[in-house]
Amino acid sequence: METEFEKSKPAGKSEAPITVARRVPEVATPMDADGLERVGHSSTGITTYSARSSIRNPLQLIRNIFADFWLGRELAWRLFLRNIRGLYRQTLLGLFWAFLPPIANTAIWIFLRQANVFSMGDTQVDGTVYILTGMILWQAFIDAFQMPLGMINKNRNLISKLNFPRESLLLVGIGEVLFDLMIRLLLLIPAFLIFQVPVHTSILYAPIAILGLVLIGASLGLLLMPIGSLYQDVGRFIAMVLPFWMIITPIIYVPLTTFPGSLLNWLNPASPLLLLARDWLLLGTTNHFAIGLGFAAAAIPISLIALVVYRVSIPVLIERMTA
Amino acid sequence: MNLSRSSSSDLILDVDHVWKVYCRNLKRAMWYGLKDLGREMVGGGRDRSHHNLRSGEFFAISDASFQVRRGECLAMIGPNGAGKSTMLKMINGLIKPDSGSIKISGKIGALIELGTGFNPILSGRENIYINAAVLGIRKREVDGLMEKIVEFAELGHVINDPIKTYSTGMRVRLGFSIAANLRPELLLMDEVLAVGDVGFRMKCFAHLNELVKQGVSIVLVTHAVGMLQRVATRSVVFGQGKIVHDGDLETGCTIYEEMLGASDRVRAKKKEEAGRIGEIGSVEICNEAMEPQAEFETGETVRLRIQINTRETIKDARLVVALCSPVHGVLSSVSSPYQGIQFDVDPPGRVITLEIPKIPLLIGAYHFNISLFGPEKVDFYHRSSLRGVFRIVGPPTNADGYGINGITKLQHSWNING
Repeated sequence: METEFEKSKPAGKSEAPITVARRVPEVATPMDADGLERVGHSSTGITTYSARSSIRNPLQLIRNIFADFWLGRELAWRLFLRNIRGLYRQTLLGLFWAFLPPIANTAIWIFLRQANVFSMGDTQVDGTVYILTGMILWQAFIDAFQMPLGMINKNRNLISKLNFPRESLLLVGIGEVLFDLMIRLLLLIPAFLIFQVPVHTSILYAPIAILGLVLIGASLGLLLMPIGSLYQDVGRFIAMVLPFWMIITPIIYVPLTTFPGSLLNWLNPASPLLLLARDWLLLGTTNHFAIGLGFAAAAIPISLIALVVYRVSIPVLIERMTA
Repeated sequence: MNLSRSSSSDLILDVDHVWKVYCRNLKRAMWYGLKDLGREMVGGGRDRSHHNLRSGEFFAISDASFQVRRGECLAMIGPNGAGKSTMLKMINGLIKPDSGSIKISGKIGALIELGTGFNPILSGRENIYINAAVLGIRKREVDGLMEKIVEFAELGHVINDPIKTYSTGMRVRLGFSIAANLRPELLLMDEVLAVGDVGFRMKCFAHLNELVKQGVSIVLVTHAVGMLQRVATRSVVFGQGKIVHDGDLETGCTIYEEMLGASDRVRAKKKEEAGRIGEIGSVEICNEAMEPQAEFETGETVRLRIQINTRETIKDARLVVALCSPVHGVLSSVSSPYQGIQFDVDPPGRVITLEIPKIPLLIGAYHFNISLFGPEKVDFYHRSSLRGVFRIVGPPTNADGYGINGITKLQHSWNING
């Protein structure tokens, strides 16, 4: 059979075929089983679909994932622009909706604090800026966490009917999370001015911690996506748990340093990088450098595993979407 | 397999012993989905061919094999739920086979559903870029094709307006135009032939024929069998997940029409009551020499031997015989009194033969519905449908306007002198 295919490459076509961002197939040809790289992205390559799980060849799988990220970049950019443009054309208030949640949340907590309902501890900077920054970072984490399931649900029609690099949806999702985050971070400019917060050079490192925070949120969301897509219970559970999760994350108070409260900083995946990012943005010094970077480093292998899970699960999920 | 028409060096698609399992129960399907996920994650194979089914599962596709070569247009036909669209989805790589393999050489362009991914509030032009990107085409290549796409879709005057202001037909035209102008090597189409107005449909057929001539292979799924002759060169017929025919289009369409009839037969039988006095027994279709035969050519003599069984004497019996096509319904109905035929049926019964000389039917599947009456309108004994199934297998018809076509051969003459 293979030899027949070898011969079947287009012979002297009058019109050059359009180079196409063809998806890298899930499963390699039998030749791959012997470790031979044969599946290419060119329009003359042979695609094989079989029951074999692509996870059996993990290196190939990861290579294919990154190849599809690259192939899907233009599609991702188009879809990103489509969504952003759509957002503006359809709403009166547009960007305002991006600003609203952190402002509203901050306002509520500031009001409660002034009524002495709770104590924040020594925040070192004005409490309003402290809470606002925390809220913006928390919102980014949560957006990233909920993004994978949201993307799959929003694009069910597209996914179940067309074959395109699925990774491009993640690029779009991350793009949207970062876009919203950037707009919200603009809120900090007037806040810094009004509450006279000094600017430290450490603000330059903050993006590292912020990206780590988004990455870990997206990876965890990605790991939950397959089950969440099959069973709606997962989505409901997350919606129920989110307020509690926010409370145990040091957003409206300084992190607890005494046992057992300090345990929360270690167990809560949102905490360390959120604290590190906030310290770098507001204080210039931090006690969370090691743990924060540790979590950021851990985010890399976790995200790789999550990407593998995402890719392997999509065909199974499509089957059940249409079943 | 009938592959003699093309050489073996042009294989584009090779479907090799493919099986696919589905489950209709929602709760179970979800649970199996979860288990399948787990199995995929640990790299477990899932060879699920033959009798390896879990409770509630069935084979949507069982042991299907076929091939498509360069420049071939294959029609996948069959009743609803026969597995055509599932097969198309596997070829497109959306879902995985549970056993067997599918190999594709070259670039796939899919039209699984026209206009999937259109954003209603963006303009037609913006949507062309998005749709092309989904199909894997880069912007600069779309730029070069933009004029062609817009012109083919006949939407030049509205291409900068939001898609939500388009009619359904306009959207379909745009979707087809995008996918068909991107020059894939293998084009997959699911039920897209029956859309749009007649003029545009004809344009689509012409375009598809042009693509086939240029060496593009097409696999299409449709129920509009009548239109297939304009574009398809071969057919694969699916019945309950199995391939029941792989070969020429005419035979495929005939088999499909018979299958549609067969499901009616099951329903009709259930309705029938037991304990009749007189009934239509065995029915045999024969040639002029009274030998059983099921395939005829246009113009041959067809004889229908009808066995009537009875428990009591039926005085002045009446037979009504309707010649039918599964697609077109009753074509003609004749009765024994029309030709002054009078007869009684004594127990246990008798045989009556109906002769149709020079049958004027063209290629297709046909059958008879036979009813037994007494002399009065209300003296009904039995009606038996889908009896004496036969096929007209030749001579060939021509849908392009160079021969004769339709279901009957019309006696006619031309006079070019007015």
